[in-house]
Amino acid sequence: MVQADSLFVNYDRTAVLWDVTFSVPPGVLLGIVGPNGAGKSTLLKTLLGLVHPLSGNVSLSTGKIGYVPQRETVDWDFPITVLEVVLMGRYPRLRWWQRIRAADREAALHALTQVGMADLADRQIGELSGGQQQKLFLARALVQEPDVFFLDEPFAGIDLAAEKDIVQLLKQLRDQGKTIIVVHHDLPTVSEYFDWVLLLNTRLIACGPVAEVFHAENLRKTYGKTSPLFEEAVGLSAQKQSGL
Amino acid sequence: MTLVEYFTDPILRAPSIGCMLMCMTASLLGVVLFLQKKLLLSETVSHAAYPGALVGLIALALMGPEFEPYAFAAVLVGAFVFAWAGLWTVRFLEHRFRIHADAALGFSLALFFGFGVLLTSWVQAVFPLWSNQAETLLFGQAATLTDGHLWVYGILTAIVLTFVCACFRALQTLLFDRGSRRIEQAVQILLLLAIVVGIRSAGIILVAGMLIAPAVAARALARSLGPMFIWAAVFGALSGFLGNVLTTHVRLPTGPAIVLVSTGFALAALLVSPGRGLAFRFVRKYRFHLRCREENLLKELWKKGRMVRKGWVGFRLKQQGWVVREGQWLRLTEDGKTKAAGIVRLHRLWELYLTEQLGVEAVRVHRSAEEMEHILTPELEERLTKVLANPEKDPHAQPIPPRRP
Amino acid sequence: MNPYSGVGFFEFFGLLLQRLFSGEPMVSDEVQLAVLCCSAVACGLVGPFVVLKKMSLFANALSHTTLLGVACAFLLAGTTGMLLLGALISALLTAAITELLGRVFRLSADASIGLVFSALFALGIVVVTVWLRNAHLGVEAVLGHADALQRSDLTLALSLLGFNGVFVLVFHRQLTLVAFDENLGRTLGFSAVVWRVALFFLTALTCITAFRSVGVLVVLALLIGPYLTARLFCQRLGQLLLWTPVLGVTACLIAVAASRSVLSTTGVPLSTAGILSVVIGLQFAVAATVKSLSTRRTIC
Repeated sequence: MVQADSLFVNYDRTAVLWDVTFSVPPGVLLGIVGPNGAGKSTLLKTLLGLVHPLSGNVSLSTGKIGYVPQRETVDWDFPITVLEVVLMGRYPRLRWWQRIRAADREAALHALTQVGMADLADRQIGELSGGQQQKLFLARALVQEPDVFFLDEPFAGIDLAAEKDIVQLLKQLRDQGKTIIVVHHDLPTVSEYFDWVLLLNTRLIACGPVAEVFHAENLRKTYGKTSPLFEEAVGLSAQKQSGL
Repeated sequence: MTLVEYFTDPILRAPSIGCMLMCMTASLLGVVLFLQKKLLLSETVSHAAYPGALVGLIALALMGPEFEPYAFAAVLVGAFVFAWAGLWTVRFLEHRFRIHADAALGFSLALFFGFGVLLTSWVQAVFPLWSNQAETLLFGQAATLTDGHLWVYGILTAIVLTFVCACFRALQTLLFDRGSRRIEQAVQILLLLAIVVGIRSAGIILVAGMLIAPAVAARALARSLGPMFIWAAVFGALSGFLGNVLTTHVRLPTGPAIVLVSTGFALAALLVSPGRGLAFRFVRKYRFHLRCREENLLKELWKKGRMVRKGWVGFRLKQQGWVVREGQWLRLTEDGKTKAAGIVRLHRLWELYLTEQLGVEAVRVHRSAEEMEHILTPELEERLTKVLANPEKDPHAQPIPPRRP
Repeated sequence: MNPYSGVGFFEFFGLLLQRLFSGEPMVSDEVQLAVLCCSAVACGLVGPFVVLKKMSLFANALSHTTLLGVACAFLLAGTTGMLLLGALISALLTAAITELLGRVFRLSADASIGLVFSALFALGIVVVTVWLRNAHLGVEAVLGHADALQRSDLTLALSLLGFNGVFVLVFHRQLTLVAFDENLGRTLGFSAVVWRVALFFLTALTCITAFRSVGVLVVLALLIGPYLTARLFCQRLGQLLLWTPVLGVTACLIAVAASRSVLSTTGVPLSTAGILSVVIGLQFAVAATVKSLSTRRTIC
């Protein structure tokens, strides 16, 4: 289960997340949607502990989390193979003096098989297509056997076939009882892909099952013109807090 | 030595004016590089110039000792050619081999400079009379500048100033959304010239420093491009002059002296600039928190009627005329009651706004209102009142104090 | 009498091999070669991580600011231990101030690095000229004294090599992780800060020790050059960690032999450090040309 309580995150003179509170039960495939600059990635990073909120807290019922970041965060010219990247997911299990064992390699290959890339194990990561890069990150997360998955815009710029593959895999994981949180950018596919949706525009507009929450009214609130009064007031607050 | 003498004395004036001009030129270009986040390009350029300068000297040395007066020109030409080669190498490495800018800059820098080290050793062995010249290339020696050198410095400064003024618009587009390639090339050529000319006074190692500190200082004090250029030029000229003055009192090479002065300016600007300077931010934050505490106390008094004396905050409120002391109690004055009511009004207006307009749950609005009551300006209050159509009750059914007359 | 005097380029290697197995005490050329090779291997082990983590220019800054630490240490006491400590402290100072400038004043990376290194280097020059009255220390810092190396320098170089070797061998996973994907490392439970500092510490140590032999800028060439050359042909980090030192050592061999042969034939004592930089550059140029002409993509 993933829970956030009154998260406030500022950056310089603007509020990125404002009083975000929600709770996601286990076994749910959740999509976070909102306009550009709504703070979706920041929310994900705050849930992961990569960003520290000004106030509020995050609680995850499990310590085992798998992170699938945006593809641009990594230098794809790095001299490393597909298998080696997936093996990184096994590092926490190794003591600092231990070497990679057969069991680790096995687990990595198994994860690669799950995403359909076992035959690419010895490829340089620079040779992968967009969809393959995404699947690589997913395999790396899978090998950790986490209970919660966090994916940041996994479908951006990849081919449709890869997208379908990944969605299918995510649904399988969901059926196994995992919680999966995905930052998503494509509205038309929300009802097809996700069970739950979280509508975000600096503030939390709504969070719940797609059938209940994903309707025109909420979408208008999320994507419509943000209240300038609110933005100004909250911006002013961020400014005063940082002494500017 | 009076100030004027630095400009009139035949020995002092060339170094003084020369350093001023050089630093001013460098700082203008520094602003452009700073905003492009390419400051360290100047580092590579200056180090790449080293072997070139030496080649110039060696060429003269081969021709004969009578050519020594031409050293300045020879160094300039050689340095320019090699600095350009260094820049070209960086671009080549980046584009042809997909090497990241960081590594390309570092590699080019190290290679060219290493070649310079090699040439220096040759000069020291084969042309020992010239090795002194070779050594001063590293750290600079403005003290021996003459009026003749000033011509070159002056012309370059004029060119850069004209460029900055004439191409101001183009520079703006360059900095904000990657404008034309020609402008970028022009900037790079001017950079080459500025560095190559500056080597004589500031030396290879630290000439890049001339570009960095004034730009940082300018950024701390200005937001838009025009004022940034002006501040940078001012700081540049000042650093150049004062650095040179410093060298007349302490036996330092010119480069380090100028860098220390300009860094001093940069740090001062960062700390004390009214806009983003650390000192002011600290003070502002502190004063804001103090105001919040005062206003919270006023609110409490408004709700309770009277309270036991509350130490320093209470004292401040008394000073400002919001409260009076009655024995061991504090009470609000008439003015105080109005002010407190105003704060409560803001609190409740905001709560209503959140619940009504933004659909936030009533239980969650209090916290935000506690923060916003200190922030909302009269203008924002006006807009809130309009949007909420002059409300009378907040989400908790408490009355909203009316607007101040 | 130095057995290498008068020896030409190719004879140098012949003589070297002979003397390797003869058991005679080392002469200056061999000491120089040994120190340079140790530095090259030490740099070759750390260089890949420095380049991959985009820390090359930061390493450049580090090698400049070392002067300040060394100069201050000289003031207090001239022992090697003090010098090393001084250099380490100035390295820490560099990193700390750069980080501070970035966080508190929100300066971009290049501005912070540039500001810090030029200011600290200038301070170093001040200490050197005003208090030490030894203007040469500044020049020497930049140019190195590779042609005046002694046994003590060899001990230092060997220790550095040993330390780097062990460190990289043991912690290469963590170093790779922090270079490749820091955020992932954090979610896996590794502290990004600890390992970034570790990498920085390793770089600082390497720069400092090599600085005494080859000077500030050739260290940079040794850190970056051989890695870039190896990268043209090799795509696996594990093997790059082998090829990079090998290329570095090769460059050192050629440089020392060339330096000696030039001295033999023309009597001109050229700076071996300078020659080394040029050789590293040529290595890259040759490898790049071969790569463009050949059809085979990679060796490993």
